Amino acid sequence: MNKNIVPVLIAVAAAVFAAIRIVRRNRRDSDSPYTDTAGARRGTADEGGVSDAVRAMPAAAFGSTAGRETWLVAAREIRERLRGRIFRIGTLILLALIAAAIVVPVLTRGKPHVQQVGLVGSPPGAAQSEIEAQVTADATNTGTTVRFVTEPSVAQARAELGSGRLDLVIVEGQGVRLIVDKPIAAPSTSGSSSLTAPSTTDTFVHAVSLTLGADQAFRAAGLTAGQADRVAHAGPVPITSLQPAAAKSAGTASYLGLVVIFLMLTQYNTWTLAGVAEEKSSRIAEVLLAAIRPGRLVAGKVLGIGLVAFGQAALLGAAAAGLAAAVGSDLLHGTAPAVLASTLIWLVLGYAFSSWVYAAAGSMAERRDQIQGLAFPLMLPSLVGYFFSEAVLGSGASSTLFDVLGYLPPTAPFVMPVLVGLGRVAWWQVAVSALVSILCTIAVARFAVGVYRRSILRTGHRVRLREVFPGRRFPASG
Amino acid sequence: MIRAGAPAKLGAMAPALEVNALSRRFGPLTALDGLSFGVAAGRVCGFLGPNGAGKTTTMRAVFGLTELDAGTVRWNGTAVGEEERRRFGYMPEERGLYPTMRVREQLEYLGALHGFSPSAASAAAMTWLERLGLTERADSTVESLSHGNQQRVQLAAALLHAPDLLVLDEPLAGLDPPGIDAIGAVLAEQAAHGCCVLFSSHQLDQVEDLCESVVIIDHGRLVAAGRVDDLAAAGERRLVVRVEGDRDAAWARRIPKVTVSEVDRGAARLVLDPSVDSDEVLRAAMAAGRVTEFGFERRRLSEVFWEALA
Repeated sequence: MNKNIVPVLIAVAAAVFAAIRIVRRNRRDSDSPYTDTAGARRGTADEGGVSDAVRAMPAAAFGSTAGRETWLVAAREIRERLRGRIFRIGTLILLALIAAAIVVPVLTRGKPHVQQVGLVGSPPGAAQSEIEAQVTADATNTGTTVRFVTEPSVAQARAELGSGRLDLVIVEGQGVRLIVDKPIAAPSTSGSSSLTAPSTTDTFVHAVSLTLGADQAFRAAGLTAGQADRVAHAGPVPITSLQPAAAKSAGTASYLGLVVIFLMLTQYNTWTLAGVAEEKSSRIAEVLLAAIRPGRLVAGKVLGIGLVAFGQAALLGAAAAGLAAAVGSDLLHGTAPAVLASTLIWLVLGYAFSSWVYAAAGSMAERRDQIQGLAFPLMLPSLVGYFFSEAVLGSGASSTLFDVLGYLPPTAPFVMPVLVGLGRVAWWQVAVSALVSILCTIAVARFAVGVYRRSILRTGHRVRLREVFPGRRFPASG
Repeated sequence: MIRAGAPAKLGAMAPALEVNALSRRFGPLTALDGLSFGVAAGRVCGFLGPNGAGKTTTMRAVFGLTELDAGTVRWNGTAVGEEERRRFGYMPEERGLYPTMRVREQLEYLGALHGFSPSAASAAAMTWLERLGLTERADSTVESLSHGNQQRVQLAAALLHAPDLLVLDEPLAGLDPPGIDAIGAVLAEQAAHGCCVLFSSHQLDQVEDLCESVVIIDHGRLVAAGRVDDLAAAGERRLVVRVEGDRDAAWARRIPKVTVSEVDRGAARLVLDPSVDSDEVLRAAMAAGRVTEFGFERRRLSEVFWEALA
């Protein structure tokens, strides 16, 4: 388990370190040429050539004017967002939820429960010890331990069951019967989700009922105790499969990842939309656009909010992985580390794709109350991806349609990590889906910047898409 | 202070900002219709016109904030691009600041966007906040400030990076007299330092006090432009005549080709046709009573404005 967590922690630490280095170097660079306002007045003229808006996208290009301005916008966004109380409290709540999801199962597992079994009506002697031996073996096989209590009557045993002092009562008379307090959940025969798994007691009781039933049948068939024992302990014949065994699926990790990615994409895309709409409605956009190009302004906003989102996700992921390793949770077994990694990757890809669309939509709003109406149609693909993924996680059965959704940029962020968790996709399929998403992001970003440029200063009414479709000229208010 | 690249002291003839044949239609509405004018560096130029004349669209065009159907904007002879605009300062008609951001940080951010280093932006922000009497509100959010103080912050945002060109869309609107005086003093000082200042206003008396030159437009076309002194001296002669005991200047209304533009507490303001001999007017006044005041006057800017639009 510790082997799995170490690379994740190293990656997070490296990312944080690199971000600090970049910010510091950027500050030093911008400090050096001008030391006072008079210097700045002369110094700006020789700044590098002007590039188009699309060049502003690679945030690493801090050396250029485009990169510098984009980064300035992004840095303001990060500063203001991290300062927000809602963000801080929200992060703490998410951390608490993840900690609870990891720690609570470990704590409940940590106290092994001794199954209290009451015996009624059994004559003292060899037969009783035989049943006790069989029940003890069942307890061992289901990973629990057992303690026997002799009860004088069925009525007394029922009372003990009802009060919770006994888990199971074995009544011997004509045949054997078992009594429990609540109906037991049937143990899984097909791929039922780990979320509805039966408790240890349920599994134990089920095993005891099978064992004792078989034992009775063997005796009725005339087998001696020794023969019955041999039949009862018959091992299965080995099965050889042509395909290699799939890695154990990571149900809990996949589910947590799906919920986190849905919550975060919804949250941060809404931030982008509302943030752009706020800049438009407060008319600050006109002041900003007098100084910098629209493509850089919107790219900076998308980048800034994206970095906050990724920082929060990395923090949550690192906390989850670290906590799981520390308390010895089985959360990181099987495909879980791959699910964690693909969740982070798809958070970035999913945000990169959709944030541009939300930013363009935000530039079309005239008032705050239009934000909901603009966001809803954009959320539909996410909802489809989310609920489809949840259904597949619940049933464990995927489909061709689900596989296809894994390659469509709007639904891929939800579907792909689930497919990774199920072990249904090879690495190159993940890479193809990621590439499709990146190419679509570039196309969508160009389109969104065009819409943004045409609508951000168009006030007086809610802008309609046909008015701002890039490449066309439309009447506008002055 | 001489600004790099601006022919501040080369005389009033060479305009630093040139607006050439701007045209812009919004559907059926013509906002700009071949508008051309120039503003010299070191001048405060008033930009006048009735509502809907195209002032805001022209100002936006200087910053590339509206698409043009035709025309160019030039600064010191070159087409205005991104580099030039970084040296411009803008105060839009609809004020724009982040409501929940702190005043000082907001100014620092705008300074950085105009190419200032963090330390230079910070120093400039504090200088301007002190100058405009807002030092104590530096860490307040913009939304917590009064309207007048928000206006001051907006002005600081336009001035922060020591621009070569200042374009202010109705900077005096909604200000009290001390606020108008404060902004007027700042604009005059900027012009004295070689800055080219263009601002729009409907307060003609204030514009007359503040501006050396004006540009008047209507329906997207230029209708008058020039130094306020020249415009005031041009046109028909104006006589102010006061006749003791006379209240309605009835005597002047009988003189042909003389119109009474107003009578203010006995002082009649007369507009003379070029063919009228002022001695005739004097004689008519003396016939009406004892003349206590008789003198030529310049046109007021409001008269220039109304005559230009007529």
